[in-house]
Amino acid sequence: MLSVKDIVKQYATHRALDQVSLEVESGKIFGLLGPNGAGKTSLIRIITQITAPDSGEVLFNGQRLNADHISQIGYLPEERGLYKKMEIGEQVLYLSKLKGLSTAEATKRIKFWFEKLEMKDWWNKKVEDLSKGMQQKVQFVATVLHQPELIILDEPFSGFDPVNADIIKNEILELNKQGATFIFSTHRMESVEELCDHIALIHRSKKILDGSVDEIKATYRNNTYWIEYEGDFAAKSVAGIFDVLQTENVKGKTLIKIQLQPDRTANEVLALLLPHVTIHRLDEVIPTMNDIFIDKVKGQNHE
Amino acid sequence: MNKVLLIIRREYLSRVKKKSFIIMTFLTPLLIAGIYGLIGYFTYKGIKDTHDKVAVVSTNKTLTEKLATDKNIEYFYVDKSLDEMKKSIKNSDYDYLLYLPEFSLTQPKGVELFGAKQAGLSLSNRISRDLEELIRNQKLKESGISQQDLDQLKTSVNIETKKIATETGKEESSSAGASTIIAFIAGVLMFMFIMLYGIQVMRGVIEEKTSRIIEVMISSVKPFQLMMGKIIGIALVGLTQFVLWIVLTLTISTVAVSFFVNKDDVQKIATSSQSGSQISTGTQVVQAPQGPIVDIQKSLAGLEFGKIITVFIFFFIGGYLFYSALYAAIGSAVDSETETQQFMMPVMMPLLLGYALSLSVITNDPYGNIAFWLSMIPFTSPIAMVVRLPYGVPNWELALSMVILVVGFIGTVWVASRIYRVGILMYGKKTTFKEMFKWFSYKN
Repeated sequence: MLSVKDIVKQYATHRALDQVSLEVESGKIFGLLGPNGAGKTSLIRIITQITAPDSGEVLFNGQRLNADHISQIGYLPEERGLYKKMEIGEQVLYLSKLKGLSTAEATKRIKFWFEKLEMKDWWNKKVEDLSKGMQQKVQFVATVLHQPELIILDEPFSGFDPVNADIIKNEILELNKQGATFIFSTHRMESVEELCDHIALIHRSKKILDGSVDEIKATYRNNTYWIEYEGDFAAKSVAGIFDVLQTENVKGKTLIKIQLQPDRTANEVLALLLPHVTIHRLDEVIPTMNDIFIDKVKGQNHE
Repeated sequence: MNKVLLIIRREYLSRVKKKSFIIMTFLTPLLIAGIYGLIGYFTYKGIKDTHDKVAVVSTNKTLTEKLATDKNIEYFYVDKSLDEMKKSIKNSDYDYLLYLPEFSLTQPKGVELFGAKQAGLSLSNRISRDLEELIRNQKLKESGISQQDLDQLKTSVNIETKKIATETGKEESSSAGASTIIAFIAGVLMFMFIMLYGIQVMRGVIEEKTSRIIEVMISSVKPFQLMMGKIIGIALVGLTQFVLWIVLTLTISTVAVSFFVNKDDVQKIATSSQSGSQISTGTQVVQAPQGPIVDIQKSLAGLEFGKIITVFIFFFIGGYLFYSALYAAIGSAVDSETETQQFMMPVMMPLLLGYALSLSVITNDPYGNIAFWLSMIPFTSPIAMVVRLPYGVPNWELALSMVILVVGFIGTVWVASRIYRVGILMYGKKTTFKEMFKWFSYKN
């Protein structure tokens, strides 16, 4: 539903985005990753039409991005806030009217959401009387109230306690089920693995990785396994089949880390071990998104 | 457009509903009226109550007349020596001791005033005036003018200044005094309004920036819409306050006048305004009793209040838009109010300069070159023009100044909006003028 094509954004002294292209599919949760200062916010600001790119274009449902799309996008910036002296209800009402909702419709929906997220008594409260977590909830409601097709969340969980973070996560999943597309900008990888279908990694103004979470993880598998067994046997590397990278003895059990040669399977290793030992466990070592992220970013830095 | 209206509405309501606004609006006219009342009361009381007893030791034989006593000052001629009096002055009933030595009428020298307290300026002026009159009368008598003739010479003259309107050729009753008062009030009000509300715009922008709501806002509206909505919303707050002040002040002063001024004075004002209408017909000497109130009353009638207020409101809106756009740009460039100092200076300077020059140069010479240019340059014209207005300004100058101001504020709004749209997204950076200039040239 959203195509970003060859976006370039140049600021006076540095290039924030260099030929960045992305494809966000409808109904998916898309993770936009990258270290601080990589260009994520610049890209989001272009998608939300806060700034314009120097070259390249953004297509929203096939149409070139224009002012009509503002009401179809909900944006929760990382640097977010509310008017301190304004009452909560009035404030959310104001923000949603700016997105084009009528007073009546907005009021109805605010009541619905306030009820759902247990914020009913907050209508007449002022922002300065709310805790940071409570403010985050209000902001989340303000972001999704106009039922946008595309919801962009920049570090949505920062500032939430685990309970509220969980509530918000469930709301995100529910909205996603109802058809909303999400773009997540974050550098917290746990949430990416839990929620995202697809990710793109931006580093130093360039996109350096793009793909579905499963695919990316698959390409980062390197045929490494943990095997735990019991028995008086020291496993050794077998040329052409596997290498033992690491051996540990824990409470009478042995734990080895092995790497298979290409085209070999774990079955072959087990076949070699089975006559000598009792196998307790076999795990494939799958890199976490965190590992991939660090690996990719560090790899780039060394270039 | 709808969004701008929403923003205007919020900016307006959130300010008008504030307690401080309501208190300010209703208290200020009362305060102003109260302060002027107090000043008036004490001045009046002060004049009424001064009563100085002055002992006069005179060794002067030239002056044949004595200094005349009246209700504010009493002269007692004593037959003692100066030294004796100096010693006893502290314990006597006299407040001051005046020593008149022998002097020639052409060069009176050696007059001295002693007192337990330092004599005020008004007292020493008063005494020297009395002495001057005494000496003048003495001289006149010596040149052979009789006492009778002298008494007849005394007449009090009241000048009525009239302005001949260039367009209509009609004579308008006016008084330099009343014009100056109106000019002062208008100038001070204009300065206050532009400053107060310009700074409110700046605060509003900083508030949005520091509370970080700005990002949420500009994902819904264009920075320009947000800036204009804020500026217009606050302008309406200013106008509301201005109108309320005028209404309240008029109400309060009407009530106060009908309460304090006795019927006699009202009668006088009434008769004089009747005679005022006859004035334009001829050159007859006006016999009606002339007090300062009557004077001002009459010339106030000569001023076109409707025009003054309309022009004031126009220049308030224009000047406010001109400056508040600059204030918005400043607000967008900083993270907190404490950082605004370096940018405030260049914006404040022309306004302050215009204010100072308007109230000094223009009130002295409302038609001069400086007055003309000050009332044309949009940085100073809002103040300068309203100050000039009570003295009369040719319509073409007024029109030209208005056009320049409109062009001026379109200019500042344009420049400010280009700085604003970049500035509001910059956090935690110390901004310099150089940087602001760079922002101005950013593409989008």
